[in-house]
Amino acid sequence: MEEEARPAWSSQFAASALRELTAVGPIGGITREWAWGGSTGSGVRVAIVDSGIESDHPAVGGQVRGGIIVSYDGRTKSKVRIEDDLEKRDLFGHGTACAGIIHTLAPEAELYSVRVLGRDLTGRALQFAGGLRWAIENGMHVINLSLSTSREEYYGLFHELADAAYFKNLMLVSAANNVPSPSYPSLYSSVISVAAHEGRDPLTFYYNPAPPVEFGAPGIDVQVAWQNKTTIVTTGNSFAAPHIAGIVALIRGKHAELTPFQIKTVLFACAANTHPETQT
Amino acid sequence: MNEATPDASECRLAEGLRRLVRAIEASGRAILPSSDDELLQTVVEAAARLFGAAASSIALVDDAEQMLQFRVATGAGSGEVVGMRIPIDEGIAGYVAMTGQPIAVSSVQEDPRFARETAKKTGYVPRSILAMPLVCDDRVIGVIEVLDKINAPSFGMQDMELLGIFARQAAIAIRASQHYQHLGEALLGSIRRLAQEDTSAEMQEVQQVLAETAEAPEGTDEIMALADIFGSIGKLGEAERKACLQILSAFSDYAHSRPRYA
Repeated sequence: MEEEARPAWSSQFAASALRELTAVGPIGGITREWAWGGSTGSGVRVAIVDSGIESDHPAVGGQVRGGIIVSYDGRTKSKVRIEDDLEKRDLFGHGTACAGIIHTLAPEAELYSVRVLGRDLTGRALQFAGGLRWAIENGMHVINLSLSTSREEYYGLFHELADAAYFKNLMLVSAANNVPSPSYPSLYSSVISVAAHEGRDPLTFYYNPAPPVEFGAPGIDVQVAWQNKTTIVTTGNSFAAPHIAGIVALIRGKHAELTPFQIKTVLFACAANTHPETQT
Repeated sequence: MNEATPDASECRLAEGLRRLVRAIEASGRAILPSSDDELLQTVVEAAARLFGAAASSIALVDDAEQMLQFRVATGAGSGEVVGMRIPIDEGIAGYVAMTGQPIAVSSVQEDPRFARETAKKTGYVPRSILAMPLVCDDRVIGVIEVLDKINAPSFGMQDMELLGIFARQAAIAIRASQHYQHLGEALLGSIRRLAQEDTSAEMQEVQQVLAETAEAPEGTDEIMALADIFGSIGKLGEAERKACLQILSAFSDYAHSRPRYA
């Protein structure tokens, strides 16, 4: 009952609900041009934790540099098995869709596929965690998580991973759940959580001053890459997150030294509903 | 071990158990929908109407076989889709079942493979799909799909949110129905086996246990009363169920370990 009364994540970015915000002091001086002008995402490694990436799909422009497949294995201590992704395919198209969006924004970013979906539903959250851990430990700079888990028993596990990423200066970009209910890691404060807004311009995003979901990016009726070199038109917060991941890749490409909280500040300053303080 | 021989008390026991079976069957009929599919059918019909969709269907997850089986459908192509089984790592419904995330897709026909395969199976290719997981106790138990929004090219974010609320209610109803059915089947199965007048080892054990309590057949009233209490506690919520389970486990441990006097 309580959950039904809660506003849905994406409604916070509807034109009527958006709040105009002020960036105070020097934060107001951060511009898009400063943040990512001239950047192509070159030198930035972006992991897409998802259903795989179809690496020869034209939408990813040959930028897939590697990948792994994480499968559930109840016999091992970690409960997962990690193998190189030799198949280079996408079970559904969802990971390719995310990779394609990131590539559009940051054409020279290096893409890595972390395939965490498999037939065994019971191990799904552990596969997801295993994939995230791999990405944290294997030199990625930005991790796109258009997946989440709502299982309370893994709250601690994902929190630990989110903290590990934060302290390694690694940015996690997580899609909010598509239905208004809790999901991890999107609700942790150290990640960038993203919901969909109705806009079409890939570089237009908004900041929400009433978290947990902090940013809104395009994700409604967007045309995305899909399985078998096709495209579809689809809707979901899943497609909003890679827009922000792509922009973060651009920022990291230009300012490699920025930490997650600094990147969040830059994003806040560059949000379409944020304006510099008027000079007195 | 007591040596068990078919005697008058055993016959009385068998008769008592048969009465219990009849009683459970009778009460089961009162509380269960006559079948799971009937409940599911009402859900898809309501969904199609609520979302202005040309068709709707529900597929349930078969964990053991890692398949999705379409159980009910309404509208275009429904005759063909019911009974269809797809591997859980295929298609839009598979994606939703695996990730627990809903997805809205329009221009489905742009994926030629999807269109061809779906058309081959159902004779119907939707233009737009909204697919939502049916989640219960953090587990995806199935997927509900609404197809082809009438008077609009695609399902929007608002449809997604509404279907999310709808699916939550549907999942709870489906889960409850499945629980009752499984519980009922398990109870009936085991009691029916026992009620048959056999002298198997199982029967001997039961007789031994019952022989230790006075007026064994009359114990059925207590069992029924216990079942009522379980039922009412079960409906209160997870915390109550857990507390009840802990209390019962503690009692069970105690009961099994206490000294018994011949």
